Amino acid sequence: MRIGVFHETYASEERLWDSRTQRIWMAVFALALFALPLYGSDYVLAIACIIGIHIVATLGLNITTGSTGQISLSHAAFMGVGCYTVAWLARWGVPFYIALLAAGALTAVIGVLVGLPSLRVKGLYFAIATLAAQFILTFLFREWVPVTGGVGGITIARPTLFGFEISGDRRMFYLIYFCVFLFAIASANLARTYIGRAFVAVRDRDISAEILGVNLLRFKLLAFATGSFYAGVAGGLIGYFYGAITPDYFSFTLSVFYLAAIIVGGMGRVLGSILGAIFMTFVPELLRAIAHTSSEWLPGIANLLLPMGQVVFGLLIIGFLIFEPHGLSQLWSARVRRLFHLWPFKT
Amino acid sequence: MTNQMRRKIVQSIGAAASLGVLGARPSFAQAPSEIVIGGAQPLTGIFSFAGVAMHAGLGDYVAWRNANGGVSGRKLRYVAEDTGFKVDQGVAVVKKIMATDKPSFFYIDGTPLVKATAQDLRGSGTVMTTSTSCAQVLADVNTMPQHFLAGPTYGAMHEILMEYIARTAKASTTKPTVALVYSDSEFGRDGIPASKARAEKLGIPIVAEIVTKQAGVDVAPEVARLRRAKPDVVIFQGYVVSPIPEFVKQMREAGMSSQVMGTIWSMDKATYDALAAMGESWMGVMPYRYPHDPESKTMATMREYVSKNRPDTKHISIFYTHGWLAGMIFSEIADRCIKANKPLTLPNMKAALESMKDWDSGGLTGLNADLSRHQITSGRLYRYNTATKQMDPASGWIRV
Repeated sequence: MRIGVFHETYASEERLWDSRTQRIWMAVFALALFALPLYGSDYVLAIACIIGIHIVATLGLNITTGSTGQISLSHAAFMGVGCYTVAWLARWGVPFYIALLAAGALTAVIGVLVGLPSLRVKGLYFAIATLAAQFILTFLFREWVPVTGGVGGITIARPTLFGFEISGDRRMFYLIYFCVFLFAIASANLARTYIGRAFVAVRDRDISAEILGVNLLRFKLLAFATGSFYAGVAGGLIGYFYGAITPDYFSFTLSVFYLAAIIVGGMGRVLGSILGAIFMTFVPELLRAIAHTSSEWLPGIANLLLPMGQVVFGLLIIGFLIFEPHGLSQLWSARVRRLFHLWPFKT
Repeated sequence: MTNQMRRKIVQSIGAAASLGVLGARPSFAQAPSEIVIGGAQPLTGIFSFAGVAMHAGLGDYVAWRNANGGVSGRKLRYVAEDTGFKVDQGVAVVKKIMATDKPSFFYIDGTPLVKATAQDLRGSGTVMTTSTSCAQVLADVNTMPQHFLAGPTYGAMHEILMEYIARTAKASTTKPTVALVYSDSEFGRDGIPASKARAEKLGIPIVAEIVTKQAGVDVAPEVARLRRAKPDVVIFQGYVVSPIPEFVKQMREAGMSSQVMGTIWSMDKATYDALAAMGESWMGVMPYRYPHDPESKTMATMREYVSKNRPDTKHISIFYTHGWLAGMIFSEIADRCIKANKPLTLPNMKAALESMKDWDSGGLTGLNADLSRHQITSGRLYRYNTATKQMDPASGWIRV
C-alpha cells in the first residue's frame, strides 16, 4: 500500500509527476487517449475534440482569472479574434502552425489592451471593463464585413501538413490534443516559475506583492496576454475544427461558460481547467443521452426530461459550489486519489 | 451530510450515468429497405417554441407517409435529437446521428449549425440537408450544394413585399415610402440588401433603416425616428413576436398610420393575435398557405392527421407546416432517385432536387414549386381579418 511520496530533494518535490505510480498512470492515460481515434466512434471523437478546444481556452482563463485573480468576461471574444485571424491567414495559404501562433500572438496584443484598465480598477469594476471589450469585439465581428464576413460568418480552409490535409475528426483530434498537451504542460510549468508565483501573489494581495518587488503593471498585463494567447489558439482550433463559423458562437454566454468551467473545475489549477471543461461539456451531453434513452422506454418522457436537463445541470453546479468549493480538482485530489492511496482504510 | 447519505447520492448518480452510457441505443445504420432522416432540432433553449413544432411536423409527415406506403415501398425513419440551439451540442448531435444512423437527409436547426457541419456533411457525399434558416448564404448552389431551403430566402420574401407594394400603388402618382426595422442578427440583416435593391429597382423610397436588438428593446427612440421619417409602410425583419407589438403600440400613440408588415416567422398566430388584441391588422409575406385555407389538399391531409393524432393541438403553426414540407421534399428527392434506379448519393439527390422545377406540393406553396435554385421563390401577402380572426389572402401568389 502506497500512502505517500517521500521526497529527498527539492528537484524531486518539484516534478510534475512526483511518483512512479503517477507516471505509469499518466502514460497509460496518454496511450489510451492517443489510441482513441482508433476505437472511438465519430460521436465520441467529436465530443473529445470539442472538449479539447474548451480545455485550451479554460487553461488560458485559469491563468488570467484563477491564478492572477483578474475576472475576464471577454474570453469568448478573444477566441473570436483567434478564429478570424486563422481564417484570414488560411486564405493566404499560411501553414496552420504559424497561423495558430499568429492567432495567439494577435489575441495576446488585444488582451494586453483590454487588460490595461486593470492598473486602475479591479474586482467587479475590472470585470465590467472586460465585459465592454466582449461587446466591442463581437460588434466588430458582426459589422466588419470585409474581414469577418459579418453575421453570415466566414469559412476556414482545412489545415494541411506537408500536403497532407488534416480533415475529419480523427485527424483533428491529434492536432487538438497536441495543443492540449502542450498548453497543459506550459500552464503547469508556469505555476512553478517566478512568473507563476508572482501571478498568485498578485491574486492573493496585490499591495503585498508590490512591496515584495512584484511589478504589478507587468504581471497583470502578462497574465492577460498569456490567457488571451491561449484563447486565440483555442479560437483558431475551433475555426479549423468547424471549417466555418458565425459571430454568434463567440457570445457572452460562452465567456460565462468558461468562467463556470474554472469555478467548477478548480481555480488556479491545471487539473481544474481540464475537469471543468470536461464537466461543462460532457454533463449536458450525458443528461441529454439519459433523456433520449429514457424516451425509448417511456415515450414522451424526453419532452419533460430535456428541459429538466438544464435545471439538473444548474443544480449540479450549485451542488459542487456548496459541497466542494475548491472544485472538481480538489474532489479528485483530496477524495478520489486518497481513496486509492489508503484503501481499504479510510481517513 | 452523513457518509451513508453521500454514498447513496453517489450511487444514484452513478446509476443514472450508467443508464445514459450503457443504455444508449446501439449502432443502427440505415437498412436498405428504409430511408433515414436525421434531425438536429432546438427542442430546448431560446428557439424551442419553433423546434418542438418543426420536430412534430417532420415526425408526423414521416408517420403519415409510412402509413400510406412509404417512398416507393421503402419506409422512412426519422431520428432527431435536441441541439438547444448551441453549435457545440448541435455538432455532436449531427455527428452522432451520422455515425449511428447513416441518414440520407438531415434537418438542421439554423445557420450557425448548418455552416459548422457543412464541410463534413458535404464531404460525406451521402446526405442532403435543409434547415429553419432562410439565409441567402445557405441557398448558394455552388458553396452549399448539399443544402436547400424549404421556402424563399429572407431576401426573396422582401422582394415579394416590394413587388406587392409597387403593384398596389400602381394607380397612385407617388410610390409609398418604406421603413425597414430589423434586428441586429443574421435573421434580421440577411434580407435587407435584396430588399433595398428591389425597392430601388421599383422606385420605392426607403426613408428609414432602423437596427435594434432581437428582443427586450426599449423602442421609444426608434419610434421617434420612424415618426420623423413618416413611412407609409414599416417592414419588420428578424423578429418572431417581440418587439413588434411594442413598436406598433408606440407608433399608433405617436399618431402614425403606417401599414406594418413582416415575413415568414413573424406571420404565426402568436404575432397576429398579439397585434389583433391592439386592434391591428398584421400583414406580411407567407410562402405557405395557412391551415384554414381550403384550397390545398396537403393542408387538408395535415389538418386531418393533426386532429386525429394530436387532439389537443388547437392551431397548426407555420413551424409545423415547414417541418411537414421539409419531409415532403426529402421524400420527393428520394422517390425520384429510387425511380431512376440511382443510389441516394449527394450528386444524385442534388440532381433530383434540381429536377423539381414544377413540383406539385399539393397546394401548400400556392404555385407549383421550383426547387432548381435550391429554394422556393414564391409567396403571397396575407392580412389579418378582424371578423374571421384569421389571416386572409391579400394578394395572388408572387414569384420573384
